Amino acid sequence: MATEKNIYHIGKPFAAMDDDVMRPIEAFPTKLWWGAFGISLMAAVLGVSTILYSFFVGLGVFAINNPVGWGFFIVNFVFWVGIGHAGTLISAILFLFRQKWRTSINRAAEAMTIFAVIVAAIFPLIHIGRPWFVYWAFPYPNERGPLWANFRSPLLWDLFAISTYFSVSLIFWYMGLVPDFATLRDRFERYKANSKIGKFLLEMKSLAYKVMAIGWVGSAKTWHHYEKMVMILSALATPLVLSVHTIVSFDFATSVIPGWHATIFPPYFVAGAIYSGFAMVMTLMIITREVFKLKEYITIKHLENMAIVILVTGMMVSFAYTVEFVMAAYSASHNEQYAFINRMTGPFAWAFWIMFTCNVVSPHFLWFKKLRTNIKVLFVISIVVNIGMWFERFVIVIISLHRDYLPSSWDSYDPTWADYAVMIGSFGIFFTLFLMFIRTIPSIALAEVKADEANASLSHH
Amino acid sequence: MLSIAEIKRGLFSYDEVSGGFVASLKTPADLLNAAKQVKAANVKLFDCFTPCPIHGLDAAMGLHRSWIPVLTFVGGLMAGILSLLYITFIDVFNWPIVYGGKPYFSWPAYVPILFEMVIYFAAVFTVVAVLVLGRLGFINRKVPAAGVTSDVFAIWIGDKGISKADVERILSGLNPQIEEVKA
Repeated sequence: MATEKNIYHIGKPFAAMDDDVMRPIEAFPTKLWWGAFGISLMAAVLGVSTILYSFFVGLGVFAINNPVGWGFFIVNFVFWVGIGHAGTLISAILFLFRQKWRTSINRAAEAMTIFAVIVAAIFPLIHIGRPWFVYWAFPYPNERGPLWANFRSPLLWDLFAISTYFSVSLIFWYMGLVPDFATLRDRFERYKANSKIGKFLLEMKSLAYKVMAIGWVGSAKTWHHYEKMVMILSALATPLVLSVHTIVSFDFATSVIPGWHATIFPPYFVAGAIYSGFAMVMTLMIITREVFKLKEYITIKHLENMAIVILVTGMMVSFAYTVEFVMAAYSASHNEQYAFINRMTGPFAWAFWIMFTCNVVSPHFLWFKKLRTNIKVLFVISIVVNIGMWFERFVIVIISLHRDYLPSSWDSYDPTWADYAVMIGSFGIFFTLFLMFIRTIPSIALAEVKADEANASLSHH
Repeated sequence: MLSIAEIKRGLFSYDEVSGGFVASLKTPADLLNAAKQVKAANVKLFDCFTPCPIHGLDAAMGLHRSWIPVLTFVGGLMAGILSLLYITFIDVFNWPIVYGGKPYFSWPAYVPILFEMVIYFAAVFTVVAVLVLGRLGFINRKVPAAGVTSDVFAIWIGDKGISKADVERILSGLNPQIEEVKA
């Protein structure tokens, strides 16, 4: 069945694939899963309770000040939105480029996108100070004047971009899941007939999958429209994913702060988002394949491909850093030049050099095939890259804001316990959601993997 | 032309409950051949059931092009026009304010929001179109043959007055497992 070209060929009967992929859902979770879930949940509770506390006592518990009004909120917001980009890149852009290796990783990457965007959205919500008025940003006819949102503001563009990105990613992900939910529904029907114990729980699970499968029976007439939809949603999601981080970068680039007011920002942010997103996918995939024994589906070759994407986007990010410096040096603007000198030598120079080491130096290890096919090296680099990308946002937000044009208004920034608690909480919420996902939803897009296998066998005949 | 009854049946029901026979096959290649043979035997009412999309099955079954792209375009276009009208109503007529010396109708600044609205509604229209045209949402719909969501490739033949012997003759050489569907 396997041709030379199809190196991602799994070569198992479809029923065996079902068993492999559904095992984490149908079996009782392992101790490792409970341990990870417990830690994540504790971190999430810490974050959520700190957020609720801040709603009662006000934003004073955080370190934001004048001039550093954005603080950790926007650092974390941009970080998490960036993480989200890899999912849509894998599911949409790699689909359009006919990259077969995407099928094993797209489901988990899309899930990661959705959870990352949820986590990202928390930060502006806290930052606005009165989160109960957040709906004021939506332009609906109202009794406050009417008081409309400002359509010329990049902050409002960002609201629309993030909302659209979240909704479209969610429906794309869900529609991709429907055939797999149908597989689960039919498996649970069988268990229900055979099982005597745990009947109620089984009934509830079975009912949930039945509803989620919305009556999918694999009719060719449905597949016919469905495949068209996958193509169109990919074509829509591709410009969407590029637009989202472009608009996030507009939040900075349309201002006049030295270090922000640069035309390189949109491509620079998009490349950085893909870079950090792929690193996060790599971290999660390495853990998933080890813990859930999915090494036949997520192979070294998949990880190597991701490593190459990380290497390329890492160099794009390095290039953008260089361009920023050259533009500042060439700008004849003392404030602009000082902003970059201050990055390298100012009070937050340590943050800049952490960013530089992690983002510019570390990906170059991936030039060597020995290193980029070594799971341990990949795992370390994927985490190092994400640390670097967090510090990149720290450098952009904190260093640029703390010293702008007027030395008399310069100040420093010293994060409080609440800033750290919310940041740890954001990781907690993300990993709690992800761990719940791998226990309840097929973490590999089964129907797509089967389609690759089936169609490879057809072309061979 | 489609009759009203046909459109109603098409939108609010699905085919394989109306009787006929289901033949289960082992491989996608067999299913492709089955679809070709059924088409060649001039069967009018039939459908295939597979765990994954199969290349070339649409052509073998003689399905016409999907209407989905048209509906996507309509959704996107409507969203773009209506959003532009709405923003214009707000910024020019309902509450005109000068921001940063820009004109009331500053269309370049609206482009990001219009773009997002076009993408959003194009995607929503696409998905709703798949739900309707693909007959999804009947959560009690049963799989016509066991295993079509796992590893079985099935074809349903539902022409009026067709007999089991006819089905066996049409699918000769493919060794199918045939079951009758009770209407």
